Amino acid sequence: MTRLVEVPAQFDDRSFDQFAAAYAQAAADGERLLFDAHAAEWASPYGLVGLLAAGEAAGRREGGAGGGERPLLTVPASAEVVSYWARAGFFREAADLFEVHGKVPKTKPATESEVLLPVTPVRAAEDVHAVVSTIQQRASAILAKELGLDPKATMGFAMALSEACQNIVEHAGSGGWVAVQAYHWRRKLARRVVVIAVADAGVGFRHSLEPSQAKRFGDRWGDAAALEAALIQGVSRFRDPGRGQGLAGIRRYLARWEGKVAIRSGTARIAIVPRWDDDVPLRDGLPAFPGSQVLLIIPAQGSAQA
Amino acid sequence: MIQHINVHEVLQQSVAGFYADLVTRPTGRAVRESIERALPAGTIAVMDFTGVGCLDYSCADEIVAKLVREKVRVLLLRGTSDAHRDAIEPVLLGHGLAAVCERPDGTLHVIGAREPAAALLDELVAQQVAAWTPGGAIALTAA
Repeated sequence: MTRLVEVPAQFDDRSFDQFAAAYAQAAADGERLLFDAHAAEWASPYGLVGLLAAGEAAGRREGGAGGGERPLLTVPASAEVVSYWARAGFFREAADLFEVHGKVPKTKPATESEVLLPVTPVRAAEDVHAVVSTIQQRASAILAKELGLDPKATMGFAMALSEACQNIVEHAGSGGWVAVQAYHWRRKLARRVVVIAVADAGVGFRHSLEPSQAKRFGDRWGDAAALEAALIQGVSRFRDPGRGQGLAGIRRYLARWEGKVAIRSGTARIAIVPRWDDDVPLRDGLPAFPGSQVLLIIPAQGSAQA
Repeated sequence: MIQHINVHEVLQQSVAGFYADLVTRPTGRAVRESIERALPAGTIAVMDFTGVGCLDYSCADEIVAKLVREKVRVLLLRGTSDAHRDAIEPVLLGHGLAAVCERPDGTLHVIGAREPAAALLDELVAQQVAAWTPGGAIALTAA
């Protein structure tokens, strides 16, 4: 028997919990999963990399009738949406994880301005080097012209991206994906934004930090406490005092540009919320989802609202 | 004697693939270990970042902080951009360490923790590696 996981029509960080709930429910009995993106109208980079993480987690489950089988994925009905997902590099990665049903155009990942970095796998340090190199070539003009960031900020952007990706390599215990896009965000800001999304289906923050932090938190220990320790207190699983700088650096960079960082792991989600957003700083008791999903948003500055 | 380290050159020699960016812990570790092999302990070293693109916190910690903490007496940073210093300074602060930074005009200033900072410039002057300029700044006398 196949269990259905519906992909939200507007698939981004806001609708991700709805997706995670559907995933958790469908995955519970080990049956084969069908991710139904038929009705999808739009997906943010966060939605795309999150869907890949779900596909990986579903494929490696053991036991049950669907254990070990690749999950199914029905592509969006809209040719325009499918084309966009293809240009964003989604299907190139999805082909390894899902049994894809529906017509997918054979297109190379986009070189258009909005896809700064197509969906890219991150498995090792070499992948982080490639991501940083690509983003510097592609993003600097866009960050400066369209977002009004100081040209010097491009390097900080690459640094934040590097640290977010390294989180996968060092802590996830599995590979993950990163995607970077620039688009006009009418709903919240009526401004252009650059969005970095990083997702993996690895062990998550709680598991990574448990050996060194669980005792300190006592009864409070859980996904929310782990996220708080990592993002707010700069705690790392390593004893080396130099560790834990990456997330702190991301916070500093985003604070300078009124950006937002949000991390979801397990059943919790933490966010550093800028003035323009009304997100909740910490949510616990969310539907469980494997690994970690990181979202960074940098809005256009001042009058730069191309 | 001042030891000179061309970071970009060491990066090319230490890591497979042509990289201009100092990112990731493994890269930082490889670069630091190369530097350590050629650097006598307790020396004054000039670390030149010319040609280095992005420097992330992981590499700043793995290279700069660990060399300052474990290997050199004074570390002088040359050819750094604002972005490089943005990565290096918080890392040094986190360890309670400081390093000397050379401005484009050759004058020196200290970044990192306040306490060890003053002693660094005094040390350079005492070793006659640096001297006060007529303008009241400190600049290297050689190198």
